[in-house]
Amino acid sequence: MARALRAESMKIVPPGKKKCVWMEAGVVSYKLCDNNYDCPTCVYDHAMQTKVARQKESMEMKPVGAPPEKFTATWVEKMMMLPASGRKCRYMITGEIGRKICPSAYECGTCSFDRMMQQRLQAEPLPVETPTQVAGFELADGFYYHEGHTWARPEYGGRVRVGLDDFAQRLLGKLSQIEMPNIGHELKQGEAGFSVKRNGETARVLSPIDGIVSRVNEKLLDHPELMNSSPYQDGWFAIIEPTKLRKNLKDLYYGEEAHTFTSDERERLFSMANDDLNIAADGGVSVEDISGELEEKEWGKLVKAFLRSK
Amino acid sequence: MKSKGGSSTLSKSITICSLGPLDDMITEHVAGHISNRCGLQYKISSRMDSPKYAFDEKRGQYNSKLILKRLTELSHNSLKFLAITQVDLFVPILKYVFGLAQVGGQCSIISTYRLRAQFYGHEPNQDLLMDRMGKTALHELGHSLGLTHCRDRRCVMYSSTNIADTDFKRSDFCPTCFELFRWQLENCGIRIKPRMPQF
Ligand SMILES: [Zn+2]
Ligand SMILES: [Zn+2]
Repeated sequence: MARALRAESMKIVPPGKKKCVWMEAGVVSYKLCDNNYDCPTCVYDHAMQTKVARQKESMEMKPVGAPPEKFTATWVEKMMMLPASGRKCRYMITGEIGRKICPSAYECGTCSFDRMMQQRLQAEPLPVETPTQVAGFELADGFYYHEGHTWARPEYGGRVRVGLDDFAQRLLGKLSQIEMPNIGHELKQGEAGFSVKRNGETARVLSPIDGIVSRVNEKLLDHPELMNSSPYQDGWFAIIEPTKLRKNLKDLYYGEEAHTFTSDERERLFSMANDDLNIAADGGVSVEDISGELEEKEWGKLVKAFLRSK
Repeated sequence: MKSKGGSSTLSKSITICSLGPLDDMITEHVAGHISNRCGLQYKISSRMDSPKYAFDEKRGQYNSKLILKRLTELSHNSLKFLAITQVDLFVPILKYVFGLAQVGGQCSIISTYRLRAQFYGHEPNQDLLMDRMGKTALHELGHSLGLTHCRDRRCVMYSSTNIADTDFKRSDFCPTCFELFRWQLENCGIRIKPRMPQF
């Protein structure tokens, strides 16, 4: 809270966060986007639209005098007051493309460029910045993590991409098969949504959020090793149309919390792997294939303990 | 066998021992550091053989868990036993370790291998090596006394994944870990000053 207030007073946009279009347009002085630029489903956008509409009404009734409040224009109207060269496309605001000026009046719903971007962004995972090293494991910043070692990354239009984290990838090791749910299948946070196989054993993977599967990564069917080589990007599992996103995100680890969670899991894994002797190790990135090295331990048992599935 | 610190019995001191060849300066520095930080008495015991039995062909490294197991089988007439070696150590599921200890046990082992500046392609730096050795030794001693990893990145009980973590942390316990450390020693009948070294 204190940090948020400080950021607000200095109008700094923290890394990984993006300005709300209302802030970008200068209608409000500070507001970060918390709905992935999916304005039609955004509670804040609805509230602001209503506020502006009301303000306009009251001004019509009392046309004289300075406006008591500044909420007299919507963000689209404010942007349209700028010279044409200043009307940034929403994908430029989010940094997805270098320079693109809106050719219409921010009617994203009917914009063909918008449609193309939506499709492109769905097909290809967004690039991931160099992951942070935490206790010998990689964590991608800006991702939300479930305690079953899956991640969720909100993207455009309110959709969410999901996958397995680096910890799970190293723990599972080389997989022979990854099984995906059908498109249209309903997933529930904390319930099994996918399954992975190795040497004839199966482990279930929990879904990090509630929602409907809208796309699966078909490349994984033939190349399960993508999950090992690129857990946060090319090895993504599916795209979900979330049904309880705000509530779900509150139950996931983010930022510092994700770091602490990973360190704790590392300690837990280490003591499970070395339960014959109560030892503590100082040092060490984990090996690439953890279960490969723990041949004497049962893969299924070890994996279930960390993927937290039955 | 050298000993320092006067009247206290051996069973209340820390024994430091090298496994295989090691510069005496290192052993003495580690001993001095431990004694300086927590007022514990120490003795430096005569060198033991290089841990050839723990060599892993596949890894080209030494399995620190096997060494620790071997050390615990020997009887040591001291409160804690710290072994120092030059060989590269690993433990199952980790690519390498700087040190390994039994939590609340008697023995621990540390290696100079990845603490030397040369390992990272830098010029030899004796002061840096001594600083890293001191931190690693104190960390393992903490484990031996039952302390687990601390979340404070500056605390010597923070778990170092890489050398940058070791260089970042201080050579002292945070106030919480220090209190725990002191309490554990008291349980062993050893009183040290309640001073909080400049943390
Ligand atoms: Zn440790
Ligand atoms: Zn501490």
